[in-house]
Amino acid sequence: MFRYFRLKKDVQPAQTLPGTLSGELLARDAISPIAIRQINTLPDNTKRRIYRGLLPPAVLVRFQIDPLTWESKNGISAMELYAEPGSGVAKVAIQDPQDREDELLTLEIQDNAFDGIDLNLIVLGDPQAVRFAIDRDERGKPTMFGTLGRNFKEEQKAMEAGLAPGQVRKGLGGSQVVLDQLESFLAALGQRAYFLEPLTYVSAWVFEKRGFAYVRGHKLMENIQHEFQPGGALFQALDGSTAFRSPAHWSTVRGRAWAIHDGILEAIDARWDKLRMVKQIGRHAGVETFPDAVY
Amino acid sequence: MEGMAVKHQITRSAELQSLAGFRELIDQACDQEPAFDDQTRYDLKLAVDEACSNIILHGYAAMDPGSIIVSIEIGQDAARVTITDFGHPFEPVEIEPPTREAGPEAILDDLGLFFIHESADLIDYQSSPAGNCLYLVKYLPKADHENPFQ
Amino acid sequence: MELISGQSNGVLVVTIQGSVDALTAGQVQGYFDDLLEKGERQIILDLSQVDFMSSAGLRVIMTVSKNLRQDGGELRLAAAQPPVEKMLKISGFTTILKSFASLDAALGSFQG
Repeated sequence: MFRYFRLKKDVQPAQTLPGTLSGELLARDAISPIAIRQINTLPDNTKRRIYRGLLPPAVLVRFQIDPLTWESKNGISAMELYAEPGSGVAKVAIQDPQDREDELLTLEIQDNAFDGIDLNLIVLGDPQAVRFAIDRDERGKPTMFGTLGRNFKEEQKAMEAGLAPGQVRKGLGGSQVVLDQLESFLAALGQRAYFLEPLTYVSAWVFEKRGFAYVRGHKLMENIQHEFQPGGALFQALDGSTAFRSPAHWSTVRGRAWAIHDGILEAIDARWDKLRMVKQIGRHAGVETFPDAVY
Repeated sequence: MEGMAVKHQITRSAELQSLAGFRELIDQACDQEPAFDDQTRYDLKLAVDEACSNIILHGYAAMDPGSIIVSIEIGQDAARVTITDFGHPFEPVEIEPPTREAGPEAILDDLGLFFIHESADLIDYQSSPAGNCLYLVKYLPKADHENPFQ
Repeated sequence: MELISGQSNGVLVVTIQGSVDALTAGQVQGYFDDLLEKGERQIILDLSQVDFMSSAGLRVIMTVSKNLRQDGGELRLAAAQPPVEKMLKISGFTTILKSFASLDAALGSFQG
């Protein structure tokens, strides 16, 4: 028999275990995926036990937080869990003790439309590092990491201090450890992959190194690499017209990221928009759109 | 370790410019296996090329193309190729095979899939939110075919 | 992929060097469209240097052959490497297109 493959017209989401989580439901099989929404219907203490698996204990200890109680050494609750019943979102965050509005560490995951899970946000900031106010414009309005508005002065200072677009303070490093832990957590939920939308060129580059492939945007990343080579359209657009478009920026990940944040992709009639990446649990895709890159 | 399958993998953007790279992966894998004759090597390259062309032209249609991951594992009896993409899934529809008597015009629209079937010994396709996977198995010449999935 | 053509006894021989796949098939189509416009009618496609051809290549060959026939011409194939010759046979192309083992044989077929 000849198998003719045609495009599916209606894509059906994966079948999560139906209904409210219970011991009986979990006993039915060990493979079907579990949704965040289902976990969020559980009692608070049960949710804390489960979501404790989201972060590596060693990272919490680095923030001087007890990995079981989530308290600082002063006995104050230092990590917050946001997992409202009825919501498909789970977020853990460590507040900056100097500024309760600020978060030093954030990890947020969410059910997506196809019974998969998106990593919405991962922030790992160095609590000792200087803070740059790129998250508020000059009138004090939120910039959403520079996506809704910009604070050019603070961005330039951040850039000169070695930060990437969207960073308010230097990163702690250790994203590999956090992502490995997240994968173990998601595997326990029966998920075979998770997804994210990279905020910046640096994010996309980091996630490539962590084994992500592209659902959308691989061609754009290849084009960016090609056009930043000497003679390319992006290379030529690094004309020094702003601090973010320095001619030297073609050769580094961070330099390119600042130029892209500054809108340089208009030179190739493109936007940093709608990229989507996927990480298959336990697999490394080996994508390297910027070979031998210098950060 | 003796007897263990050797695996090769590349990931490229879903563009026609990537096809040569996928074929080259197959060549590199076959270079390390003396049991592959020219026809077997060509059959593998053809099956991979046709499958990837399909993904590029239809699977990622109307999207900013994502990735295609091609891996090949060569065991003692067969080569196993896995092609993974994250575009629109396909669904297999069983139809009567095109016959040579009907002439090439009858299969022109399905020529790529026809060659995949002619070139691979076993085909399977699975689609999930984690990606779409096409599995192809090509037996090595004169291999023992009793346990194709081992 | 490169395309080279040359005349031999009133027959145009087009030689393809390299791979004909979904990327390069359009280039082959465009090349033959130009030849037809220039009035070429007896054409041999020399496949001796084609190391790979996919269904995209065969579709172009079919289209070129049809277009030539509509204008009273003919396309014949020569010297396909064994894997490409096998593709032509199993897909039934050799029932509607003449394919010769050598360029000399293909040239000779236009003289007879």
